[in-house]
Amino acid sequence: MGRRKRMMADLEQDIRDHIELETRENLDRGMSPEEARHAARRKFGNVDSIVEETWEVWSVVWLEQLLQDIRYGVRILRKSPAFTAIAALTLGLGIGAHTAVFSVVHAVILAPLPYPQSDRVVTLLERVRLRNYQNDLNDPSPGDFADWRALNSIFEDIAAIQDRSFNLTGNGDPVRVEGEAVSASLFSLLRVHTRLGRTFNAHEDIAGGPRVVVMGYGLWVSRFGADPRILQKSILLDGASYQVIGVMDRNFRFPDPANFHASLGDQLWVPIALSPAELSNHGSHYLQGALARLKPEANLRQAQAQMDTIAQRLAREHPGTNEGVGVNVVPLREELVGNVKSELWILLGAVGLVLLMVCSNIANLLLVRGSTRGRELALRIALGAARMRILRQLFTESVLLALLGGCAGVLFALLGVHALQGARVFETLGPSGLPSIGHVGVGIPGLAFSFVISLLAGLIFGLAPAWQVMRCNANRELKASVRTSDSASRLALRDILVVVETALGVTVVVGAALLLRSLLLLQQVPLGFDPSGLLTLRVIPRSTQYSQPWQRTSFYREALDRIQEVPGVKSAGAVSFLPLTYFRASKGFSVEGEPALSSRELPMAGYDLVSPGYFATMGIPVLEGRDFSWNDTPQNLPVVVINEAAQKYWSVEDPVGRRIKAGRPEEATPWFTVVGVVGNFRDFDIASQPRPTIFFPISQSAEETSLLRDWVVRTEGNPLATSAGVRQAIWSVDKNMPISRVQRMEDVRTTSLAQQQFTLLLLALFAGLALVLASVGQYGVTAYAAAQRTREIGIRLALGAQRRDVMRLILSHGASIGFLGVGLGIVAALSLARVMSALLYGVPPTDPIAFGAVALLLSILTLIACYIPARRAMHIDPVVALRCE
Amino acid sequence: MSTRRIEDRIELLQGTLDLLIMRTLLLGPTHGHAIAKAIQFRSDDVLQVEQGSLYPALHRLIKRGWISVEEGASENNRRAKFYRLTAKGRRQLVLETSKWDKLAEAIGRILRPAE
Repeated sequence: MGRRKRMMADLEQDIRDHIELETRENLDRGMSPEEARHAARRKFGNVDSIVEETWEVWSVVWLEQLLQDIRYGVRILRKSPAFTAIAALTLGLGIGAHTAVFSVVHAVILAPLPYPQSDRVVTLLERVRLRNYQNDLNDPSPGDFADWRALNSIFEDIAAIQDRSFNLTGNGDPVRVEGEAVSASLFSLLRVHTRLGRTFNAHEDIAGGPRVVVMGYGLWVSRFGADPRILQKSILLDGASYQVIGVMDRNFRFPDPANFHASLGDQLWVPIALSPAELSNHGSHYLQGALARLKPEANLRQAQAQMDTIAQRLAREHPGTNEGVGVNVVPLREELVGNVKSELWILLGAVGLVLLMVCSNIANLLLVRGSTRGRELALRIALGAARMRILRQLFTESVLLALLGGCAGVLFALLGVHALQGARVFETLGPSGLPSIGHVGVGIPGLAFSFVISLLAGLIFGLAPAWQVMRCNANRELKASVRTSDSASRLALRDILVVVETALGVTVVVGAALLLRSLLLLQQVPLGFDPSGLLTLRVIPRSTQYSQPWQRTSFYREALDRIQEVPGVKSAGAVSFLPLTYFRASKGFSVEGEPALSSRELPMAGYDLVSPGYFATMGIPVLEGRDFSWNDTPQNLPVVVINEAAQKYWSVEDPVGRRIKAGRPEEATPWFTVVGVVGNFRDFDIASQPRPTIFFPISQSAEETSLLRDWVVRTEGNPLATSAGVRQAIWSVDKNMPISRVQRMEDVRTTSLAQQQFTLLLLALFAGLALVLASVGQYGVTAYAAAQRTREIGIRLALGAQRRDVMRLILSHGASIGFLGVGLGIVAALSLARVMSALLYGVPPTDPIAFGAVALLLSILTLIACYIPARRAMHIDPVVALRCE
Repeated sequence: MSTRRIEDRIELLQGTLDLLIMRTLLLGPTHGHAIAKAIQFRSDDVLQVEQGSLYPALHRLIKRGWISVEEGASENNRRAKFYRLTAKGRRQLVLETSKWDKLAEAIGRILRPAE
């Protein structure tokens, strides 16, 4: 700016010289000295404005005007602190809620996973399309994994993953530790490194290889006191000794990269060491997935295309197992968050609508204030201010206000996220709950987001006063008196804003109402079993002393017997996987006496292993035949129990006594005789319809991997009161048995609804905000209209109008605006609610009850909001009203 | 009368005034007062330029690099600012002059179509 200063100094000298020269010429023409100087000045023009104009030539004009506008804007905002505070707080609520939801969205959906180039990492799952079974996210078989790995040329590598849990003994109490069996290539594929030691090598990832384990940081610290010599030690897993070869970094989590609850997270990894028999097994699908990294030049579409070709080839080579089995290439993040994505986007959308409502509320406030500032603006226009300049200044004011709101919003967002975390909402979101939630905080992205939406909000609500200025007629504004200066157009704009606001509010509230309806329906779904009074716990016998099925069977039998002796316990049983915990396994089977079908058309059913007494304990009725008994031993007739839904595979009325087998009829698998039919119950989750299911008795199980994991205990009174006795009963059979997940079945049921409850809670919060905003907006516009018409009302009353008529006048104007908004909102919601259909249970997105209730609620609120000012108008004293003028 | 209309007039005059200043300086460097006089004299007093408005225009031209300013002595040996047309300004003047000619011709044709 040095140049500008120099040029301005030059200018002043120039002007002096100029006027002096002119004066001298005038003197030469014979003027008096005073006359000469005066004429010279007159001819030169206004020195000040010339200097200012030249100054502008040298200044960065827009920047200076901006600073000027900001100074002026701050002054205006400070002049009406009440208005500023109310507007900033309302905005703060809107922006804060938006920022909080965005922070969750960012942490869960947008932020990169904590692996280098994580966008190149994909999960390979099976896309199964059979007549009786369709699943796009099916667990792969180890045979498929091996063939995918051998045949593809598009991935750097593929690693297999299988969930494993271990009983960790020695060094203190026995505990169950979640772990993962993985291919040796997993760690290099993820590009992660150990903190101590190394990860597996290829020689350790073969069947019969050495028993080695890589430990998570959390387990290393909590169980082994961060022992630096851990690498020289072995640990006992399921009673077998494993050499510790590495400890992972503190922030390494796998497979859920954001599981920060060490007690729930995976804490150790062992080589998956698939045997040759497994590697050629295409029929059993028990890997959790196959992780792969795309080669640098490859993209997702090419990968999917190549895997499709490979799947077709496998279907030709293994028609018995691979017909109808494709490959689904899913980006890792998609796999991790796929089930919560739509909820989060819907929440973000809803809170965006609330923010728009806030904007229209503030626009209305600004309009009200604008009508008192109308004269100021008109005066400035009359004095020659360019409209553009005034517009810019008004927008600066709006944006300043919005940024102030943004600051309040960031505070609200911090409080909001803190409150959500404090309420442990994130942790109780259920097994399929929000991943990455440990990270949620209002970070830089949240701040940037709130800044951007503050600016946007400012521009949006700044439009209203701007529109006002564009239409401002300086002449009329200045001639009219202050009190009656309200022009018709401004009133109309205010009405439109309230209509829009009400319509937005209806949309948000409809969303919440639909979700509420569907959650209420979900809570009333008959489960098919009785959760009250039921205690559940997880006990998995998995050490060398239980390597034989009969050893496990005798443990189950003995432990269940002991549990039933505990005071307060009525009965007990155990199952492979507890209902409502999102576990699903399926088998294809053949029915004796029914027409033979191709492998693609085989009946499919879920399967579960149960102990005798499991159905009775759960309260699942045995409809036909009998329950299992401990006499169903491997030496006796192999038996199964089916559920009602599975009966559809029989053409006869009563399938009891009929036989089935796994796979196709000609396969060398044993036949099982159906001995009983039990009632349907909700298994995978509450929302899914019961599907055909076959139950096998644990006492006949011959497979090494067949286990009962979840135990159920029917109690009298409070289930948790018996938990100590139940533990003791189990420990009296085996004192080294870890017992985990001790909880009431009611809690399991609640947890399975936690995600819906979370979504509903937030949406209900936004809906409440929307109701308040809509009411306040409606009230404001009606009260203002009434105040503007005080004189008119006074005249009407003076001329003999009834007070009831006055009330009707105000009420009808306000209500007609409100009802228009409600109507438009219903129309908008009818089309918008469709995006929610994936979240709804048993309620169509056009549910007339939800829509009707919302329309009624908002109509009542509208009437109340109009009634208050209308009542006040009714009581106007005509004498006072007329004297006011 | 609103200042808005004055602004309009300056807007209208700006380009023209710039052109006149540069044309005057084509004859040689001179100071502000002399430029004003020259424009007035050469237009037979038809163009009554408010003398002050010359200066923002001069500074605008300096900023664009079309003229430069230097110290010099006026006729009666007083120190004064002398404005000089730069090479860039000379090229600009040729350009602007031909534009002006075209404009004048076009307007002339519209105003006196019969000729």
